[in-house]
Amino acid sequence: MLSANIIHFLIFPGGLFALCLGVFMLSLERIVVARLQGRVGPPIYQNFIDVIKLFNKEILVPKNAKEAVFIYSPLIGFAGMLAMLYFIPIPGVYEGTNVNSDLIVLIYVMALPAIAHILGGGASSSPYAAIAVNRELKLMLVYEMVFVIISFSVAIYVGGGDAVFSLKKIMEYQQLHGSFLFDWKFWPAVIAFVVFVLATLELPPFQIAHHNDADVMDGFLIEHSSIPLAIYEMTDAMKIILLSIVFQIFFFPIAITDDLIINLIWFILKTVVFVMFFSFLHAILPSFRIDQGFKFLLIVPTALSLITLILVILSVKGLI
Amino acid sequence: MSIITRSPFLFRINTGSCNGCDVELATTAMIPRYDVERLGCRYTGSPKHADILLVTGPITARSKPYLLEVLDELPNPFVVVAVGTCPTSCGIFRDSYSIEGPLERYVKVDVNVPGCPPRPQAIIDGVAKALEIWKEKIRNQK
Ligand code: SF4
Repeated sequence: MLSANIIHFLIFPGGLFALCLGVFMLSLERIVVARLQGRVGPPIYQNFIDVIKLFNKEILVPKNAKEAVFIYSPLIGFAGMLAMLYFIPIPGVYEGTNVNSDLIVLIYVMALPAIAHILGGGASSSPYAAIAVNRELKLMLVYEMVFVIISFSVAIYVGGGDAVFSLKKIMEYQQLHGSFLFDWKFWPAVIAFVVFVLATLELPPFQIAHHNDADVMDGFLIEHSSIPLAIYEMTDAMKIILLSIVFQIFFFPIAITDDLIINLIWFILKTVVFVMFFSFLHAILPSFRIDQGFKFLLIVPTALSLITLILVILSVKGLI
Repeated sequence: MSIITRSPFLFRINTGSCNGCDVELATTAMIPRYDVERLGCRYTGSPKHADILLVTGPITARSKPYLLEVLDELPNPFVVVAVGTCPTSCGIFRDSYSIEGPLERYVKVDVNVPGCPPRPQAIIDGVAKALEIWKEKIRNQK
C-alpha cells in the first residue's frame, strides 16, 4: 500500500512522469511558436537539455540578497506542484487520493509557484526584480480570484446547491451528464479559464512581470542562475501539466475506454492540444502594460466567471 | 557532457551602437525567417543566465561601466562575440572623443562577426562558431 503511494507520488502520475511530460510540452510550445513565425525552432528535447545544463552551472548569489530565501524559495513552488499532482485525479488514468475537499487544496496550491517567484525575486535585492514582484502581486490578486469563482461555479452546479469540493465527484457527474465544455452555461467560464491560464503561465498578453526584456529584463528571475533557475523551469513544466489536468476535470473529463494505456494516450493527446492552443495564443498576442493588464483581468475574466456563477445559481434554483 | 553544449543562452548588450547591428541581431537573426533557436539558443534577459555574450557598438564612455558590470556578472565559462565592425575597431566612430573601445581592451574576444551591419547569416555563423569555442572551454575546465 505504502509503496504504491510512493510510486504515485514520485514516478507515475506525479513526479517523474509529469515532469518529463511538462518539459516536453514547454519545448513543444517553443516549436509551435517558431513554426507560426516561419522558423524551424528548437528540437523537441531542447528544454530537457536546458534544465540539465542549468544544473551544471555556477550558482551566483548577489551580495545584498537574503541568501537562504534566495536559494530555497524555488522549492516552495516545486514541492507544491509535486504534492498536488499526487492529490489530483487524472480522468480515466489515476484515481487521485479521494480526499473530499481536494478542490480547496487545489485553490491554495495553485498560488504557490507565484509565491515562490515573489519570495525569490523579493530576496534578490535587484530593482528589476522588485518591480516585477510588485506587478506579479497585482496580477495574482485578480487571477486567483477568477480561479476561485470558476471553481465555486463548478462545485455548486455539481452539488445542485451545496458546493461539492471533491474533484472525483465533479468528474463522475460530468461522465454521467455530459461534459461542461458543451454546456452553454459554462462557456463564459471556459473563456475566463483561458485568460486565467495565460495570466498564471505569464504568456502574452500577460508577459508583464517576466520575459519582458523591454522594461524589466527577466523580471523576478533576473538574479537567479543555475539550480534555482532550473527548479523554476521544472515548476513551470509541472504547472502546465497541472493546468491541463484541471481544465480536463472542470470541463472535459471524458475517458474513452476502461483501458489504462489508451486513456493515458488520450490524456497526453488532450494535453498536447491544450498546449498547442496556448502556443497559438502566445504567437498571435502582443503584450499589455501593467495597468492595461490589471484592468483587463479585473473586468473581463472576472465578469465572465461571475456570469457563469449567476447562471449556475439560477439553474440550480430551477429558474432556467 | 557534450549534450549540455547544445543549450546556449544568449545575452546581448548594446554599447552605443547605431542600432543597425541591433536590428539585424535582435529582430532578424532571431525572430522570423533566420533562426538561431534551431541551434538551441535562447535570448535571456539577464547576464547571469547567459553563456554567450553578444556585443554591439563601439563602447561609449557612458556604456563602459555597464559593459564591465555585465562582464563581471557572467558565470564561467562564457564566450564573447563582437557583432559588427564597431566593437572590433570602433568603425566609423573611431577617434571620437567619447569612444572607449575597442572591446579587446576589456575582455578577450572569441569571435568577430565583420560587417556594418553584418548579414543575419553571418551572425548565425558567428554564434555557431561561438558554440564550438564554448564546447572547447567546457572541456578544458573539466
Ligand atoms: S557596425 Fe555599423 S551598423 Fe553596427 S553599430 Fe557599428 S556603425 Fe552601426
